[in-house]
Amino acid sequence: MFPLRVRSHYSLLQGTASPRQLCRRARQLGYPGLALTDRDNLCGLWAFLRACDEEGLRPVVGAEVSQPGCERLVACLVRDDEGYANLCRLLTRRHCQPGFDLAAEVPPLAAGLFLLCRDEELLAHYRRLGLCVAADLGPLPGAAARQLRLFAQRHDIATVATADSDLAEEGEAPLAALLAAIRHRLTIGEARRRLAPQALQEASSYRHSLAIWPEAVAETEKIAALCPFTGPRFGVVMPPWRGGDSLQATPALRQAAYAGARRRYGDDLGEPVVERLEHELRTIAAMGFSSYFLVVRDIVHRLAPDGSRRRRPVCGRGSGAASLVAYCLEITNVCPIKYNLYFERFLNPGRTDPPDIDIDFAWDERDEVLAEVFADFPGHAAMVCNHVFFQPRMAIRETAKAYGLPGHEIGELTRRIPWMHGGRGLGESLAALPTFRDQDLSPPWPEVLLLAEKLLGVPRHLSVHPGGVVITPRPIDAYAPLQRAAKGVPVLQWEKDGVEEAGLVKIDLLGNRSLGVIRDAIAAITPQRRRFAGDTWQPEDDAATRLTVARGETMGCFYIESPAMRLLEKKAGSGDFEQLVIQSSIIRPAANEFVREYVRRLRGGAWQPFCPQQGDILDETFGLMVYQEDVTKVAVALAGFTPAEGDGLRKVMAKKDKARRLAQYREMFFAGCARRQVAETAAAEMWRMIESFDGYSFCKPHSASYARVSFQAAYLKRHYPAEFMAAVIANGGGYYSTFAYVSEARRLGLAILPPDVRHSRRAWSAEELALRVGLSAVGGLSTAFVDGLLAARKERPFADVADFLHRTRPAENEAEALIHCGALDGLAAGANRAMQLWQWASYRRQCDDGRRPALFAPRLPPPPPLPAPEPLAVARREFAVLGFLCDGHPLRFLERPRGRLETVAELPAHVGRRVRLAVWLLTGKLVSTRGGETMEFLTFEDESGQVETTFFPETYRRHAHLLRSGRGYLLTGLVEEDYGALTVTVDALRLLGR
Amino acid sequence: MSASFPGTRERAVLHFNVADFAVAVERVADSSLSRRPLLVAPLGAARAVVYDMSEEAYGEGVRKGMPLRRATRLCPRAALLPPRPELYARAMRSFFRELQGYSPLIEAGRVDGHFFVDVTGTHRLHGPAVDIGWRVRRRTRAALGIDPIWTLGSGKVVAKVASRLVKPVGEYIVAPGEEEDFLAPLPVTLLPGLATRERQLLEAYSLTTVGALARLSTQQLLVAFGPRCHYLHAVSRGIDDEPLRPAGKGPETLSFQHLFADDSNDRDEVRTRLFALADEAGAVLRGRQLVCRRLTLRLGYADGSEASRQALCRTGAAGDLHLRQLAVEALERAWTRRTRLRACTLLCDRLQPRSPQLPLFPECAAGPLRAQRLQGAIDTLRQRYRQGLVGIGRQGLAGGG
Repeated sequence: MFPLRVRSHYSLLQGTASPRQLCRRARQLGYPGLALTDRDNLCGLWAFLRACDEEGLRPVVGAEVSQPGCERLVACLVRDDEGYANLCRLLTRRHCQPGFDLAAEVPPLAAGLFLLCRDEELLAHYRRLGLCVAADLGPLPGAAARQLRLFAQRHDIATVATADSDLAEEGEAPLAALLAAIRHRLTIGEARRRLAPQALQEASSYRHSLAIWPEAVAETEKIAALCPFTGPRFGVVMPPWRGGDSLQATPALRQAAYAGARRRYGDDLGEPVVERLEHELRTIAAMGFSSYFLVVRDIVHRLAPDGSRRRRPVCGRGSGAASLVAYCLEITNVCPIKYNLYFERFLNPGRTDPPDIDIDFAWDERDEVLAEVFADFPGHAAMVCNHVFFQPRMAIRETAKAYGLPGHEIGELTRRIPWMHGGRGLGESLAALPTFRDQDLSPPWPEVLLLAEKLLGVPRHLSVHPGGVVITPRPIDAYAPLQRAAKGVPVLQWEKDGVEEAGLVKIDLLGNRSLGVIRDAIAAITPQRRRFAGDTWQPEDDAATRLTVARGETMGCFYIESPAMRLLEKKAGSGDFEQLVIQSSIIRPAANEFVREYVRRLRGGAWQPFCPQQGDILDETFGLMVYQEDVTKVAVALAGFTPAEGDGLRKVMAKKDKARRLAQYREMFFAGCARRQVAETAAAEMWRMIESFDGYSFCKPHSASYARVSFQAAYLKRHYPAEFMAAVIANGGGYYSTFAYVSEARRLGLAILPPDVRHSRRAWSAEELALRVGLSAVGGLSTAFVDGLLAARKERPFADVADFLHRTRPAENEAEALIHCGALDGLAAGANRAMQLWQWASYRRQCDDGRRPALFAPRLPPPPPLPAPEPLAVARREFAVLGFLCDGHPLRFLERPRGRLETVAELPAHVGRRVRLAVWLLTGKLVSTRGGETMEFLTFEDESGQVETTFFPETYRRHAHLLRSGRGYLLTGLVEEDYGALTVTVDALRLLGR
Repeated sequence: MSASFPGTRERAVLHFNVADFAVAVERVADSSLSRRPLLVAPLGAARAVVYDMSEEAYGEGVRKGMPLRRATRLCPRAALLPPRPELYARAMRSFFRELQGYSPLIEAGRVDGHFFVDVTGTHRLHGPAVDIGWRVRRRTRAALGIDPIWTLGSGKVVAKVASRLVKPVGEYIVAPGEEEDFLAPLPVTLLPGLATRERQLLEAYSLTTVGALARLSTQQLLVAFGPRCHYLHAVSRGIDDEPLRPAGKGPETLSFQHLFADDSNDRDEVRTRLFALADEAGAVLRGRQLVCRRLTLRLGYADGSEASRQALCRTGAAGDLHLRQLAVEALERAWTRRTRLRACTLLCDRLQPRSPQLPLFPECAAGPLRAQRLQGAIDTLRQRYRQGLVGIGRQGLAGGG
């Protein structure tokens, strides 16, 4: 018996086990191999092939193809490469073609496939056409199977037993019921009643059940033998260049690189530039990547029909920024010679993996770029997908819904789950969370949490990777099945690791809000006031900008605005570009202690290399490992790794599932160090530093590229604060809420002008020392309404409220939102907001009565003299609509506690003392202490400034359930100073009333 | 405040209101409970919600419908009792009997301790309306151990507002002609019969007091409140001609309710409870020789929303099986969400006497006749022994059989 038709959890919301669990189970049960046929996809292909490899099983690749809207399905097993391509095409049609019909679509694509089917009509049809097909009797000789067998005998069709299983083991049945409840929106009880899922059984069990039809069991092995295909082998699949064949690419790249170099450096290229260009071009040509560079260039700066190229603001990310060729092609934005970026980090002849150039575009231009790619490579391009797995919140929410718990109760609980959870059981670890202090976990919650835990790690659905695009020389549906994402783009069924494993070269085209910020801020600065030119602008050389960075006044600036980063800037106090490159790399989750050490060394603290073998490789970063490539360098220098091995170690550090491979590298590292007589303590210290690259980390080219954008942003903030802050908010902000940016703008001395239908644009805009709130900030306005408003205003200004309502026709919620946020105050001739609401009701009444003449604005009766609403009520409504207040901080409405209170601005005078502050919570960041306890860094503000605070585990435990951003608190704590940066260590907190 | 209800002509409506009725009744039943806060809620259910609470518990933040666990956390000193709707209904009946002697026009709330009594023109029989108020209070205190609020006004609205004003204990008399002055300074939210949306609108228009509302003309109110302008205009000035709606007038509706102590979305459990309600309805209908032609099922979800669907039967139903079938039909259409149910109410209306007519061709109606005879036999057995003695299969524990 060879188990056919086994489904993994990639049969979404149906199967329960991962391919790895299934393979392990198949090996335990003594099977020689496994045929994984997930429903309508090949999402689990790479995980399956890997697991088969690990377990020593023979994989049979396949998928079940279902017909939408009915029960019919055909399981397709792949026999050869042609069959694989056909299966991919078939699955693509299944997802992308309306009216997909198995009878019509399968036969033309049946070459190289073996079909298993239960539908008599389809069986007869396929048999008539001479396709390889067998009647699938399933695992039990039930009545339906008996009838099917008789039918097959009459039509001379082979019959075969299949496992037809969704579970690896019987114990997974509750999970299967839960998945069914989620998929069909059933209650858990109903799902349990309806479902009878099959688990993978041992061979003897199938033989025993099907003892009356031994030939059907024997047939499984024959079919498996007919399917020797063990996975696709494409080699490296590069995107095709449309400008000519690969021979023409090398000279074309050389020409383009030199032309670009002259634009960047002037006609007289110095020796270093020419030398470096030649070296890079030689390497690129030798590795056969010339056309790849040209393809990327064509995507970034697309050729218009008139031969010109559109220049978009971009920023190269990843190691690509180390290439001078890329800089000259304007794919990247930082000069690798000036900042000493190491080309070999990007490309070297020893590397076997494909190059990887990732580009950031302004976030609102990215979709346009993608659309161009799909237009330029129709049928040859698709986006990479993300497999979205159940996370704690989603798992709990979905399970609780199946248990029928009311929405508010679910929300109440899931809102308290931070984005971290321990390795214990879900229920147990939640109950231990400080935020769950007063949470009611009475039945059925324990049962819900127990079941929800089983959902963790099960894929839920596919989503689109934020920017990964694959372009292939042959039609792309011959490589992998495609689906269509909600926004219409074609998506591969593999996520980025699968794509990489398949050898498909991915180009990341990502959206970056700050590029939009910089673009919009520059556009808003009138040419008369502009003191810099786009091509020669060197913000990193501007003294005022450096001071801004050194003071950590970089809220709103790309990549350096987080509280941790701003504290580090303050402590470093240098504000220069090289240090900023280091700082933006050294702040990573596992490197806290090295950050402290970096500051000490930067501020002149003494340091020694850990061992003589280290040489000068880390001198630039004060002997600390900061960049990804430092891992490679150290492994080579200390442990005698080859560059390829060192690179391997670097890559493993970035993977999630690395324990086994990391252990091997660790052994190699220590053995190598021992061979080279590196002191044991030094080796251990170095390994500890290597381990701090766990999670995310950056290479120097990436950091330099980002630091350049950071400096551009900081320059604009320093010299053109109104334009900059307007652009930051208009582009959707970054780390903070709009509320926090509005406060920052106010601290910069800018007035916040309320939204006004007479003046506001769609986006926020800068006026003389002020920001005008854009209409986009008014909650609830539809795009169509704002379009109509702007068009009507362009025709002629609004005369009064009636004229405005008549010409823009707002919906009820839109009119109310505009009134509540004060956008109609300017038209209302002194009428207070209650009276404006009355006018709106009066207008609607006239519309309802049908008395309104169609052509002219109605004459509204004067509103009754309603009393003006209380200032608190006005503020509350304005806050509800905008998310902030235009004329001040909401703290002023909160009850002031008695006793002495300090303001944030006064803190420098209180270092070392305890203070009480009435402040507003902006944002927070949870971290784990070494002992595994949770603590939090929180950012608060008052009218005078922002303050960073620390809640150590004990304080955090006591107060976590009270903490929610957007509320006022009374804090008590100790003011501390570290290298000029102030923080408050909080010991008590309470909510401020009202 | 002057108590000059001259008697004969002016309309006089008394409002009696026993605050926290269930609590008050329980305290009568066990006087030791009066010394501590009290929560009434199903016991032994993990997800029970508060049915009623005493004033002290209200002060600690407990509200009706709040999860019991939260309530006990807010008010840990509170004694806990299971709700006894039968007892409360009995208390309502006793109270009603007290009032019956004063007027035939009595409007009673649903087991909540509210009564309106129209005592217009009873001056000669019972003396001034004010005296009736005092007397009823004295007597209920003595006979039932309950201390109701009582208020007197020229209509239900004024009397009700007055009792909201003096809650939890006291009395208030609004003399005729003083209604407008009485209401003017009060918060507009004290007015009865306002929808949530109307409250929001009143707040948005800064109409915070009844007086501010009263200053607007009907024409002006029409702009903001549409057809409700007349009601608002009248109540804000204390004008209220609405007659009382005594029980027993108008078409009758029988109502049967089950509250799930632990809310449930289990199909079997819900059906079992529903069948028990249908059987209960059947017993009442057959006992009164009635059939119902419309059955309404009202489901209360745990998130507070409600759904209601009907099943019709032209010929009328009174048999258990027939009623169950109609109830399931309504359930299939009403129960469309996965959210748990908190309450399930069966309403039988369009009642009519059961036809004594026998079928013309008994051989064609053998099935229904047999079912009828079987039902008759079951009813006899139940009457003779006990209600849960015989039941229909798959009924579960609901009938107690």
